[in-house]
Amino acid sequence: MAGAIIENMSTKKLCIVGGILLVFQVIAFLVGGLIAPSPTTAVPYTSVKCIDVRKNHHKTKWLMPWGPNPCEKLKDFDEAVSRQIEANDIVFAVHIPLPKKEMSPWFQFMLFIMQLDIAFKMDNDLKENAEITLDVSLAYRDDAFDDWEEIAHAIEIRKLKCTFGSPKTLESEGRHYDCDFLPFMEIGSVAHKYYLINIRLPVNERKGINVGIGEIKDIRLVGIHQNGGFTKVWFAMKTFLTPSILIIMIWYWRRITLMTRAPVLLEKVIFALGISMTFINIPVEWFSIGFDWTWMLLFGDIRQGIFYAMLLSFWIIFCGEHMMDQNERNRLSGYWKQVGPIAVGSFCLFIFDMCERGVQLKNPFYSIWTTEVGTELAMAFIIVAGICLCLYFLFLCFMVFQVFRNISGKQSSLPAMSKARRLHYEGLIFRFKFLMLITLACAAMTVIFFIVSQVTEGHWKWGDITIQVNSAFFTGIYGMWNLYVFALMFLYAPSHKNYGEDQSNGDLGVNSGEELQLTTTITHVDGPTEVYKLARKEAQE
Amino acid sequence: MSSCSPKPYLLTSRAGCCGRYLAKLSSVGSISEEETCEKLKGLIQRQVQMCKRNLEVMDSVRRGAQLAIEECQYQFRNRRWNCSTLDTLPVFGKVVTQGTREAAFVYAISSAGVAFAVTRACSSGELDKCGCDRTVQGGSPQGFQWSGCSDNIAYGVAFSQSFVDVRERSKGASSNRALMNLHNNEAGRKAILNNMRVECKCHGVSGSCEFKTCWKAMPPFRKVGNVLKEKFDGATEVEQSEIGSTKVLVPKNSQFKPHTDEDLVYLDSSPDFCDHDLKNGVLGTSGRQCNKTSKAIDGCELMCCGRGFHTDEVEVVERCSCKFHWCCSVKCKPCHRVVEIHTCR
Repeated sequence: MAGAIIENMSTKKLCIVGGILLVFQVIAFLVGGLIAPSPTTAVPYTSVKCIDVRKNHHKTKWLMPWGPNPCEKLKDFDEAVSRQIEANDIVFAVHIPLPKKEMSPWFQFMLFIMQLDIAFKMDNDLKENAEITLDVSLAYRDDAFDDWEEIAHAIEIRKLKCTFGSPKTLESEGRHYDCDFLPFMEIGSVAHKYYLINIRLPVNERKGINVGIGEIKDIRLVGIHQNGGFTKVWFAMKTFLTPSILIIMIWYWRRITLMTRAPVLLEKVIFALGISMTFINIPVEWFSIGFDWTWMLLFGDIRQGIFYAMLLSFWIIFCGEHMMDQNERNRLSGYWKQVGPIAVGSFCLFIFDMCERGVQLKNPFYSIWTTEVGTELAMAFIIVAGICLCLYFLFLCFMVFQVFRNISGKQSSLPAMSKARRLHYEGLIFRFKFLMLITLACAAMTVIFFIVSQVTEGHWKWGDITIQVNSAFFTGIYGMWNLYVFALMFLYAPSHKNYGEDQSNGDLGVNSGEELQLTTTITHVDGPTEVYKLARKEAQE
Repeated sequence: MSSCSPKPYLLTSRAGCCGRYLAKLSSVGSISEEETCEKLKGLIQRQVQMCKRNLEVMDSVRRGAQLAIEECQYQFRNRRWNCSTLDTLPVFGKVVTQGTREAAFVYAISSAGVAFAVTRACSSGELDKCGCDRTVQGGSPQGFQWSGCSDNIAYGVAFSQSFVDVRERSKGASSNRALMNLHNNEAGRKAILNNMRVECKCHGVSGSCEFKTCWKAMPPFRKVGNVLKEKFDGATEVEQSEIGSTKVLVPKNSQFKPHTDEDLVYLDSSPDFCDHDLKNGVLGTSGRQCNKTSKAIDGCELMCCGRGFHTDEVEVVERCSCKFHWCCSVKCKPCHRVVEIHTCR
């Protein structure tokens, strides 16, 4: 075994491979930008104020805002005052979706936020740190004439965070408070066609429930779901990428097992990276179209988390294995300092995600951010994860710096070498730097596109063509990391081409002290393949 | 605040057609049959047709008109002209037919009110054909499934455009009054569109902003009223001018910078609204309440146009030490208080 493919490949071939990958990259961006619609849609809903007249005649407990059996509506609360309707008999009803539309499993998830319209009144001011208690229930049906089936019912407390822009005088009565929106509900699957939300704001003066929450004029919800078109494009992409990565992975592992030696750490890590990429790629989401699997959202988070952790670990090990400080690594335990923060950080985020999305499997109205303890706990997890990430990046930057310092140190001694050897090592350094560059470029692209998609509006118009920037970001970046992993496995697979090269290496001679010293230095730069070259040479001698 | 406004002494200006027919609309009951459309006074033929074709929307139009009038009365509660309900008096005066600032405001707030109410109705599910109808993908369920629907505000604004503007367009948009009305109608809608709040929610892995969805939320109508009131104060006086073969409105004073889409424009200067002048549809400020201490337009000096004022001591019963719930129950004690009320002579 003479080296990895990247070392034995001519620059011309490397360029061709790079070109092909670039073409796929561009396609990935275009698929998102041109075919897919924007990733998500936000639909505003205004709740209808229904009067619960159940006491009189026993009807269904679900109140419909519109449709064949609409509830008795209130126009505003002045009407309620004059008719002496109690707060407990007023139900805010929202039907999802709006008329003449149907929800679909392609929407993947639904999340709702709640906005309260609270008007200022001199004698009914909003209390400091006011809390609103909601009695919420969610139901579904698949046919417009079926009965509603309950999915969840909960009593939730939310903190109101409102500010008032004007001075609190008689003049400003009727102006609305500026309230932060509240998290309301999250469901990880959209298996039914119609959903119904009923919200009550029960008042209990003795217990202080819903007292001092100001004059609520309206409750508005905003429903966010993934667009069906985006889901389809996304699934198509995953379905295409899975076999590609899987094939190269098998090919890569076969090459490694064909060798006489055991695989080294770096090779194992690359393989693990491939596995975690495949794990993300496998389009298990197809099942969400047929089954009501609410845990899909959580599962997706976990898969992404594993991949990120794997990628970060790979970078550290990649740098470490190219370090030229005579340390024997090649063991995962040698990297505990660097990999530790990744493990701790991902574990924190995992716990956080389980606390949020995990609990939401049971109670879709739950949010960790609504309670004081929950917020502190969540913040603690996120801060610890953030610290771990910072720590990790410090380590990584330091290691990259070390590698580059060693390379430049070696480059100064290059002119003293024989020509063939020099060319060989110059090539190696170039290709190592090339890979570093690709990694940096990928990371930079991710960051840049992330910022662009955050800053700009959802789409760009270019003549008649509309480019969906956000979708392009998702498909493009997803495609990019796939290509990155693909390229890694391809270029770092052991080369079979140069079985005879040992001969030529031998010709160069490793006799003089100067040359020997150089070899040991280079050994570490070139990674595992060179280590083994040296090891074999020593064994031969 | 609007509860105190309908008083017999209020100034009135039949500020053009719009205010009038919308005010009428606002007072009718629900519009649920095509025949009701015929009976509505003040609508022109094309509007009656639209009414019949969009029956379900008409309720929102009515609510929008109500909203507009309430807001107008709120914004002008302290001024000599206080946007009193326009058809309480069978007065036809010049102020009306003239394109005054007041007319400009009424047009703007009316078209904004209609756009606002229709958009609101869309989001509460009252209307069948909002949003999706106007997107490229079309109104099919596939369109909604594939890419969602565009904002309801687009539908609200488009409806306001076709329903409110049709009055001016049917006359042929060449008279300078029609041009002024169209401009102000658009300015009213712009007051909503340009004040939409963009709100975003992050929902990526662990709630990170990897996935972020933004949407536009309509401002409260009070905010729209405030914006338009500011535009009223800074309205531009314009005159007609021909550029090529099209007629446009340009500022009368060429030193002023030209008005934008959002600004209100007017053709004629307003009367001072001081004296009772039925011929011109001006009721005068006699009998209006004023604020003794204020130096502004609501102060007695300005409000009463220098005629002086009466001061009466009146005992009022106020509600005090009230206990409120968020809805529907108020428990108060009655408190008696003597206040001084100043009314213009």
